[in-house]
Amino acid sequence: MSGLAPPSAGSAAGARHRKSVGWPAGRAAQAGLIVLALVAVVIFPLAFTNQQVSTIAFLTLIFVCAAVAWNLFSGYSGYISLGHAVFFGSGAYAAGIAARDWHITGTAEFALLPFAAAVAGLIAIPFGLIALRVRRHTFVVITIAIFFIFQLMAFNLTSFTNGTIGLDAPFLLWDPVSFDQRFYYMALTLALGTVAISWLIKGSRFGLQLRAIRDDEDRAASLGVRAMPVKLTAFVISGAITGLAGALWFFFINQVLPQSGFDPLFDLTVALMAFLGGLGTVTGPMLGALIIEPAQQYLTTQFSNSYLSQILLGALFLAVVLFLPRGLIPTVAAKGSGWLEQRRGRQDVPATAEDGDGGADGADAGIGSPAEAGTSAAADAGSGDTSAPAATSKGPAS
Amino acid sequence: MGTELTRAVINGILGGGIYALMAVGLTLIFGVLDIINIAQGVMVILGAYLSYALSVHLHLDLFLGLLITVPAMFVIGVIIQVAFIRPLHGSERTSMSLLASYAVAIIIEGALYLFFGPNYVTLNAPYVNKSISMLGFHLPYIDLYGFALAVVLVAAIYVMLYRTTFGRSIRATMQDRTAAMLVGVDVNRVAALTYGIGVAVTAAGGMIFGASGGGFNPNSGYDLISRLLALIILAGLGSIGGALVASMFMLTLESIVDIWQPNWSIAVFYAALVLVLLIKPTGLFGRQAARAQ
Amino acid sequence: MNHHRARFLSVGITAAVLTATLAACSSSGSPSGGSSSTPASTKPILIGTSLSLTGDFSADGQAFLKGYKLWVSDVNAAGGLLGRQVKLIYLNDRSDPGQVVTNYTTLISTDHVDLTFGPFSSLLTTPASAVAARNGFAFIEGAGGAPSVFTAPANMQAHNVFDVSLPIEDEMVPFANWVASLSASQRPKTAAYPMADDPFADPPVQKTQIALQKAGVKTVYSKIFPAEVPDYAPAADNVAASKADVVVLGSTDVPTVGAFMKAFQQQHYTPKIFIAAAGPDQGAAFTSAVGVGNAAGTMVPNGWYGGSPNPQSQKMVAEYIKIYGGTASDINADVAEAYSVGQVAQQAVEANKSLDNAKIIAYLHSDVTLQTVQGPVKFDSLGRNGSATTYIFQWQNGKYVLVLPVGSPGSASILNPKPAWKNG
Repeated sequence: MSGLAPPSAGSAAGARHRKSVGWPAGRAAQAGLIVLALVAVVIFPLAFTNQQVSTIAFLTLIFVCAAVAWNLFSGYSGYISLGHAVFFGSGAYAAGIAARDWHITGTAEFALLPFAAAVAGLIAIPFGLIALRVRRHTFVVITIAIFFIFQLMAFNLTSFTNGTIGLDAPFLLWDPVSFDQRFYYMALTLALGTVAISWLIKGSRFGLQLRAIRDDEDRAASLGVRAMPVKLTAFVISGAITGLAGALWFFFINQVLPQSGFDPLFDLTVALMAFLGGLGTVTGPMLGALIIEPAQQYLTTQFSNSYLSQILLGALFLAVVLFLPRGLIPTVAAKGSGWLEQRRGRQDVPATAEDGDGGADGADAGIGSPAEAGTSAAADAGSGDTSAPAATSKGPAS
Repeated sequence: MGTELTRAVINGILGGGIYALMAVGLTLIFGVLDIINIAQGVMVILGAYLSYALSVHLHLDLFLGLLITVPAMFVIGVIIQVAFIRPLHGSERTSMSLLASYAVAIIIEGALYLFFGPNYVTLNAPYVNKSISMLGFHLPYIDLYGFALAVVLVAAIYVMLYRTTFGRSIRATMQDRTAAMLVGVDVNRVAALTYGIGVAVTAAGGMIFGASGGGFNPNSGYDLISRLLALIILAGLGSIGGALVASMFMLTLESIVDIWQPNWSIAVFYAALVLVLLIKPTGLFGRQAARAQ
Repeated sequence: MNHHRARFLSVGITAAVLTATLAACSSSGSPSGGSSSTPASTKPILIGTSLSLTGDFSADGQAFLKGYKLWVSDVNAAGGLLGRQVKLIYLNDRSDPGQVVTNYTTLISTDHVDLTFGPFSSLLTTPASAVAARNGFAFIEGAGGAPSVFTAPANMQAHNVFDVSLPIEDEMVPFANWVASLSASQRPKTAAYPMADDPFADPPVQKTQIALQKAGVKTVYSKIFPAEVPDYAPAADNVAASKADVVVLGSTDVPTVGAFMKAFQQQHYTPKIFIAAAGPDQGAAFTSAVGVGNAAGTMVPNGWYGGSPNPQSQKMVAEYIKIYGGTASDINADVAEAYSVGQVAQQAVEANKSLDNAKIIAYLHSDVTLQTVQGPVKFDSLGRNGSATTYIFQWQNGKYVLVLPVGSPGSASILNPKPAWKNG
């Protein structure tokens, strides 16, 4: 219910400033919404001290970081990584090994967070140099392969990683409520920072280069984009943030094991969050994480028949696939625009999904240009598309 | 040492047959639909459970049971494709098909838990624990049967692809979807039937997997999917025969490492994959560059 | 042009979902306070646990649940605890450490449970016990026996973990002693030690290997293989090729043992002595997977068995069979571990006449000896059960019987060598 109200309000505002010079009003309303949301997330743990709520909120924020960080590489560049758990696990292990070997206890552990990010970022360099030489499905499978090699190293290099026993985090002498609150604010800071970085990249020349690579890497290269350094930079930034999230998660959970730090389901989950919310958008992956993680945690605690909760989650995903096939943000944005155009009765005939695509891209960065819509159309036509009519009708556009 | 190596090679070749049976459906779906079917691992387990149900309740022989499970899985595959994969279009198709197939996977896994519970089961038949002595080695019947089944099915798919009109439509769709449509191929029908065939073949892979291993439960598919993906990428997109050869190669490599360092064999498996793909990004038998770049 | 509008929409949607998420979270927290109107004396005592009902440990998780439920119904039938009925609240953790943390915080802060019982597996026990430690809860558990559970920083600080089962490292000691005691002519010459990479499986096997080497048994195979591989046949074939007299298998579950047994049969190899760290203790789940005939002669260490003469155990077995059917040999040892957790908690609460967790922790650390279906329990300073008795069991004629230590009450003589495999 509440999900429907703001979009229509938003479209109304949009309508207004399309007619006149209403940009400032729209901006103000948008800024207002952002501030409201910020206030809500900041006072949230003070309003709800229940640990169930704050625990789920913390884990959700960790996934917000991870999904947004994943997207700022995979979503922007089109290289779908199913190996980001390498960074999550490396961050956790870096913190754990450093704490063990340097005898770090108590709150001093948090000083290790930048270290964890640096280790994950450093690992991303050789990882990227190897994996980023291939594209599409081959890239996907190489990331999976490298992921398993890392998991095996965590299992087998026992003197370094403790093997199957895993590593323990220092125990913090905080009472339960402040423990949760402090971790919440740390995760919130990290999440907001990640969203900000993602937003800045999207609007930058660097972000444009990434999207040029996504749409047509060879063409981008011929236009002078140095593809490898661009992709690698995004990969390293993405990896470092994921590693930081992994270290924070480790401090919260108190333990990391090869199979929990390097968890194949983590790889899949962050990707699914971005797909659900809208691949390549800033807000989409955040939205996906805000839906999937609480839904999963909450459904599991609510249903005594755990198998049904699993089936329910699958059904939810299928509903998204069927009804929001481009992900939440792009589909709703496209539908909202289309609906508005129709209502105003002056719509140019082809209100196609294409329109929404360009719109959704622009949705976040505000740099959508006609040229960009053109390139994504070309990419659409080129990719293996089941819908024949759509493909052929789009083809000539490029 | 010599006999150890020979045994490892034999194990690898026979085990490769079983993996090819599980992977062939995945590569077929991959080749025609250009999507990653994350549900493949669970499909293997579903096939194994269907065989289990038939052998426990109807006392049907495992291989005879395939006459029922294969068509049943074909229908399941067609339904999944028509209902959830066909509606996906555009640039999000790759990502959303991952989401769709993951959703299918967790739903099937949940349903298997509901019907069969979490305890491990095995497929039993008089020949499952027996072996034949040949060249000084004991070769398990089930592995030999599995290997033979893999060869037969791969050959059958080859005949279908290269000797039938339908096969021509499939190959045309694999190479260029738009061109295929222009010459009058109903690509939607081809996609649905291919998905069905891919899942149907997996029923056979599931049965052999269930009969040759130590036991499975609804959760067992997760350990499989990444290995199967690795195998078909190594083989090259949509290469059916390549899947068989790649499976035998990788499983042989793994069993050889197993002689000395079993705990590193999986890492060697994946490292070999990375190495091959760096040298030949299209895989061992990939003829075309990854299409529609 | 419509880009701006679309951006506005996306911010709007995000804000709306955020609101909805926050609302959903907060509503999940609220129903907790509702039951305060009932007087404390009639309100049931709430016991919370998180079990892996799906995921990697689901088979064991389900068996644990049966054990907890059985204990609850027994306590309630006998008039409850401190005169109040006991109610078990259990959540599924999907074998996932994030979910296990959410679950115990939910149990403690939303469901306001009075006591927390442990999950299945050492892998989940450490994160779970840290939550309990932070909230001042005693953490009584039956399946977290890996050494790392006790030395985790949270437990070193709070000393709140109590494992009612035996520490796994010493599990196979009676077996090693028995092999060493065999006369030189009877004593096996060679042994193979394949081990799954798992904190449960390896320590007892490695300890056995040291002991057997001292007794002059030559090691012909000792390797670790990954715990989660779909195919154990290559490792099993290499063990078979070693033709070792003894196989000490560091297994984690039924399929590992099943895979090795299947490969052994196919290779026409029957070890004279075959013991596995885990799997054969799973009752019907084991025999149905490997076949009753093939189970014969297989040994496994454990702290409990269905035929135990312990009167409490016999009562539990009778009740189990009444509810779930089958025979004593079908009962998974996990059931007894879970049941013992309940019994230890019950004795601590009754001794203190209080549900105060601090008092429970102090009591359990006071060197008292408590009685459970698994036998006596006495905790050391880190919560290890120092007086646990270790038994070795063997499958004989479809029955799960106690064989070691020799002369234990109710024990049968050991079947040595292991009979040949029965095909079919």
